[in-house]
Amino acid sequence: MSKRSATVYWIGFSIILALLIVAPLVLTEFWRRFLTEILVWGLLAMSSDILIGYTGMVSFGHSAFFGLGMYGAAAALLMVRPPNLWLAILYGLVGSAGIALFVAYFSTRLRDIYFAITTLIFSQIFYVIIFTWTEVTGGENGLTFRRPALEIPGLFSVPFSSETLHWFVLAVVTASYLILRRITQSPFGMVLQSIRENEARTRAIGYAVERYKMTAVMLSGLFAGLAGVLYALQNRFAAPDFVYFLVSGETVIFNVMGGIGTLVGPIVRAGFFLLLREAFSRFFTEYYLIPVGVIFIAMVIFMPQGLLGFMRRWLNQ
Amino acid sequence: MTDDTKTQNWSEEFWYRGKLTRRRLIGYGTAAGALGASMLVPAPWQAAFGQATKPYKIGTLQPLSGAAAAGGKTALVGTQMAVDRINKSGGINGRPIELIVADYESKPDVGRRKAEKLLVEDNIDVHEGGFLSNVCLACEPLFGEYKVVNMIGVCLDTTLTTTKCSRYTFRPFDYAPAQAVAFAPYLVNKLGKTWHIAYADYAWGQSTRDAYVQQIKKAGGDVVGTTGIPLGTADMTPFLSKISGNFDGLFGIFFGKDGVTVGNQAYDLGMTKKYKWAGDGAIAESTNLPALGNKIEGFVGINRYVPVLEGVLNTPYHKKFMDDAVVRLKQIDPSGPLPDRYVQSNYEAMNALKIGMEKSGFRGREDTMKLIEALEGLEMKEGDDFPQGDKVLRKEDHQAFIREFLFDIKDGKFRILEVVPKEKTMFPPDCKFAAT
Repeated sequence: MSKRSATVYWIGFSIILALLIVAPLVLTEFWRRFLTEILVWGLLAMSSDILIGYTGMVSFGHSAFFGLGMYGAAAALLMVRPPNLWLAILYGLVGSAGIALFVAYFSTRLRDIYFAITTLIFSQIFYVIIFTWTEVTGGENGLTFRRPALEIPGLFSVPFSSETLHWFVLAVVTASYLILRRITQSPFGMVLQSIRENEARTRAIGYAVERYKMTAVMLSGLFAGLAGVLYALQNRFAAPDFVYFLVSGETVIFNVMGGIGTLVGPIVRAGFFLLLREAFSRFFTEYYLIPVGVIFIAMVIFMPQGLLGFMRRWLNQ
Repeated sequence: MTDDTKTQNWSEEFWYRGKLTRRRLIGYGTAAGALGASMLVPAPWQAAFGQATKPYKIGTLQPLSGAAAAGGKTALVGTQMAVDRINKSGGINGRPIELIVADYESKPDVGRRKAEKLLVEDNIDVHEGGFLSNVCLACEPLFGEYKVVNMIGVCLDTTLTTTKCSRYTFRPFDYAPAQAVAFAPYLVNKLGKTWHIAYADYAWGQSTRDAYVQQIKKAGGDVVGTTGIPLGTADMTPFLSKISGNFDGLFGIFFGKDGVTVGNQAYDLGMTKKYKWAGDGAIAESTNLPALGNKIEGFVGINRYVPVLEGVLNTPYHKKFMDDAVVRLKQIDPSGPLPDRYVQSNYEAMNALKIGMEKSGFRGREDTMKLIEALEGLEMKEGDDFPQGDKVLRKEDHQAFIREFLFDIKDGKFRILEVVPKEKTMFPPDCKFAAT
């Protein structure tokens, strides 16, 4: 990236961040919460971009990481009195990282469609366990819990309002983005991209491909789990539906249609998808998925590089 | 590579080819105008009440798409029937109802968002509806947060009126413990002493199983074994074939297509001949009967509603309810199914709200506490509003107690065997409301 384009990038980044900081002050309650939710789904989409966009591995297991992060947070919020924000995050991250390690160990030995199927199977296994183990997970009904206070021990403790929750989520998502951006631009990230381009050649020049792939799955799972924790904090419930593979499918769609390998693209796509769904559902009630589907097909045909790829080319005209 | 370039060129051509011509402008303008005009068409209640009367905004969350769409659409028929009838007869306190329908795609995250939309954007006065228990549970805290009464239409989960009860939530129909209290004496005294329970292995099936185990034992019988079958299992034969031994009856707890599967496969394995075959009425819901055919003959079940005009249900108000429901259901399902308990409970839930709103002089959200007080202990009398029968909304947990119908299937039709009055379905409350 040249000095000029770096300056343009950081100016753009600062403007968008400033707009997102100011947004809750001007938006109504519903749209404020909606924007927060977009950020959460955006983080989930961004986490899977590490695998899909940078390593070339399509994962259908992200629902498991997302769900386990959610249930981990729920466990902390239900077991520890009074509920503690940082413990919820810790439990969620440990839960998702543990599952990611387990999934990564078995699935990274496989490639392409076999990897995708293995991750899909793992997510379904966790779904069935959560769905039927009612005594612990609440089964189909899931778990409901109270939201912890925003606190820094010894300094302050205030209940979350929708504004402070938005800023907290924004801070976490922004930090995650910057970390992931740094990682993808590091030598480690370059090796991942090398695996995406030509796995055999990467192996031939001496890289331990399996180890890199495992790290990528774990990293991706960790941030997906973080998104799950944020969702639990915002909505105060965890349900097995979030572990179901359809959530993984939506995440893949966010990536493909947002622009894979861009980190920001999947966030933009998640926001676009949620807004589109919300807008159409107001006019077409139960039929709104039909126009949404038509728009998706049109986008795949006319914007093969995704929303961000299209915007980039349009801006370059 | 070539294909990719072609695609890009094509898309560029599509997006950049043209300037805005007059013809295009007229075309876009017409389309936008048509959309805008459709939004300006007055709602049906406006034609009847005029523009000046401010309607009550009542929200209804239903799964109109996704896995539970069929049931959600049926449930919505009940709600709309009640709303149309109320609006035709002068509304509530002289004000019409504006029904705001929200589809939650059978997903809890969408349900939660739609509930927020109803509460914050649409500013509803009360809510009636909810179909899937997990969505009801996910949304329940929101109604408390915004101090809006939530009248449940279908959700059966026991904890909604026990451990997770809320001062703002009411369930104007039965729940598993009450059904077990009503059914267990009949099972033990008239069908057999010893039972094996097969159930859908998830929260509802498990809690219903526990209720029946408790009540069958209390009635002097015994449950010798239980078999959980995962929800949505297409081939239940491996599970059912393991059920054997010396017991009198097989009791099934399933609903929807699982009800059809267990009914057909238990028959094919000869289990319905070897043992007495009984269970939750959801197995033999009217919508399931065509798929079950003669394999469900002799099944004994319990339900809060059966679509027959006989015995205590042979009343002019029930006939009126059924006639209206059949016509409306035919519009969504050309096979013309008979109404089921989802239609009935949503219809009556809306009418319960109407009575509470009239009794409390409800004006809007500011009167929520008055409405809650009016609904607590509300006695509903059998009539046009409540064709199913008398019912009472218990103050301690906001759980209704209603008459139950024990029936069997004979010649492919429901036959009422016994009507259990609501007093004989009582189950002690287990709810502590949080301070409001």
